[in-house]
Amino acid sequence: MTAAAIEARGLGKDFGSIRALDHLDLEVRDAEFFGFLGPNGAGKTTTVHLLATLLTPSRGTARVAGHDVVRESLLVRRSIGLVFQETTLDRDLTVAENLRFAARLWNLPRRIAEPRIEHLLQQFGLLARRGDPMRTLSGGMRRALDIARGIVHAPRVLFLDEPTAGLDPRARRSLWELIQELRRSSGLTVFLTTHYVEEAEPCDRVAVLDRGRLVALGAPTELKRAAGVGSLEDVFLARTGHPLAEASAG
Amino acid sequence: MRAVYGIVVRELVRFLRQRGRALASVARPFVWLIFAGAGFATVFAGAGAIDYRRYMAPGLVGMVVMFGALLASLSTVTDRDAGVLRMLLVAPVRRSTIALGKALSATLLGTVQAVVVALLLLPLVGLWPTPAGLLLALAAVVLLSLALGALGLVLAASIRSLENFAGVMNFVVFPMLFLSGALYPVHRLDAALRLLAYLNPLAYGVDLLKHALLSAWAGAGFGGEMPVALDFLALAGFAAAGLLAAATLLAREGGVTRTALRQGG
Repeated sequence: MTAAAIEARGLGKDFGSIRALDHLDLEVRDAEFFGFLGPNGAGKTTTVHLLATLLTPSRGTARVAGHDVVRESLLVRRSIGLVFQETTLDRDLTVAENLRFAARLWNLPRRIAEPRIEHLLQQFGLLARRGDPMRTLSGGMRRALDIARGIVHAPRVLFLDEPTAGLDPRARRSLWELIQELRRSSGLTVFLTTHYVEEAEPCDRVAVLDRGRLVALGAPTELKRAAGVGSLEDVFLARTGHPLAEASAG
Repeated sequence: MRAVYGIVVRELVRFLRQRGRALASVARPFVWLIFAGAGFATVFAGAGAIDYRRYMAPGLVGMVVMFGALLASLSTVTDRDAGVLRMLLVAPVRRSTIALGKALSATLLGTVQAVVVALLLLPLVGLWPTPAGLLLALAAVVLLSLALGALGLVLAASIRSLENFAGVMNFVVFPMLFLSGALYPVHRLDAALRLLAYLNPLAYGVDLLKHALLSAWAGAGFGGEMPVALDFLALAGFAAAGLLAAATLLAREGGVTRTALRQGG
């Protein structure tokens, strides 16, 4: 496919008088592992929701998988997977039922859905828990199931909104390995938001966002070289004048 | 359509898992039969013409539909709190499809609960309707479930949180019940209250159920009070208007979506 996986032109969103996203120009290539780095409140989630057609832009345009997010929202939603910051699984359904529910919503015929669900359960280490209610899963397993459900329909673009937030270090690490493995095996375009620099580091390219504005864009090594610093944390500091971690706390 | 089927299956599975909810919905009318039945029977003007417990049976079936369908639709509020609604909104389905799936779930749940209760309740109070009466009762239950399910969706789309749920119970459910003719004939109410009863979908459902189950007492003034055709028309009208309104409310970015996404920053 020649069209970019994601293409934003002057994209912006206001909530009342608050400018959540100012003006975003962005192009994410097919099969790219793209990081969206910034402190809480930088506009990362707003951007994801705009690209996923859950919010209407206040200005600008965006195309995802070649479809306009406003005029062709159903086509966009068919082409993407979205894992929200907080789980959106059904607590009362079992692990397998949660996947089956998603497969039906995405209109997958049973003969395609069932083998796919089997494969995902295995890939995400959930095979032994398939019949258990989702609420009995650990935090890390819930996130794994969230992601498995996000790709049950084999989307072209997967949005991961702070996928490791709220997990303990061990669960974070194993989830992170899962994401890397998924990336390698599927060639999926992944759009990942995070406020952890170590998660942005392995991305092909990183966009650095602060207060609704894009402050840097490029491969991590490029960004560090251009700013003459040794870490993405320092890139953030050099471009915004304030540290990433402190802004996160606010 | 597969998405509608998926939504219905999910609602059914959830209902069956919540044993307490299923049990309460079947037990509730019998509690009313025993306590409200005993109390109202002593002041019931129709004593002598018809046993009060027999008279309130159609109303109790209507009440089961009301709680069943309304509560099923109000699960949309829980969905929003639990985040499941966001997942529905990011699925490639129209908002009207979501509304339809939810309304059909409510219809199915309301109908099944009413049928189970009717099977126990009608023999208990000695009501043995004709086959035609049973068929009419079933039609009434299905149509009433759809109308109230749609109304529940409109409420759910307008309610911000579960805390407002108690308000809904007090200002919607109980007035609806008392102005439905379930416990006493509507024609005996004064003009202002009677007018409100005409705006009440439950009143038409209960009236239809009385036509179906109490036809033997129609001559004495305890059967249906309005024409059958009007009951059907009103229920269909409420169902259509409710579905339309619910789909519109779900489609608004400023409606459910914004509250569903209120964490987004």
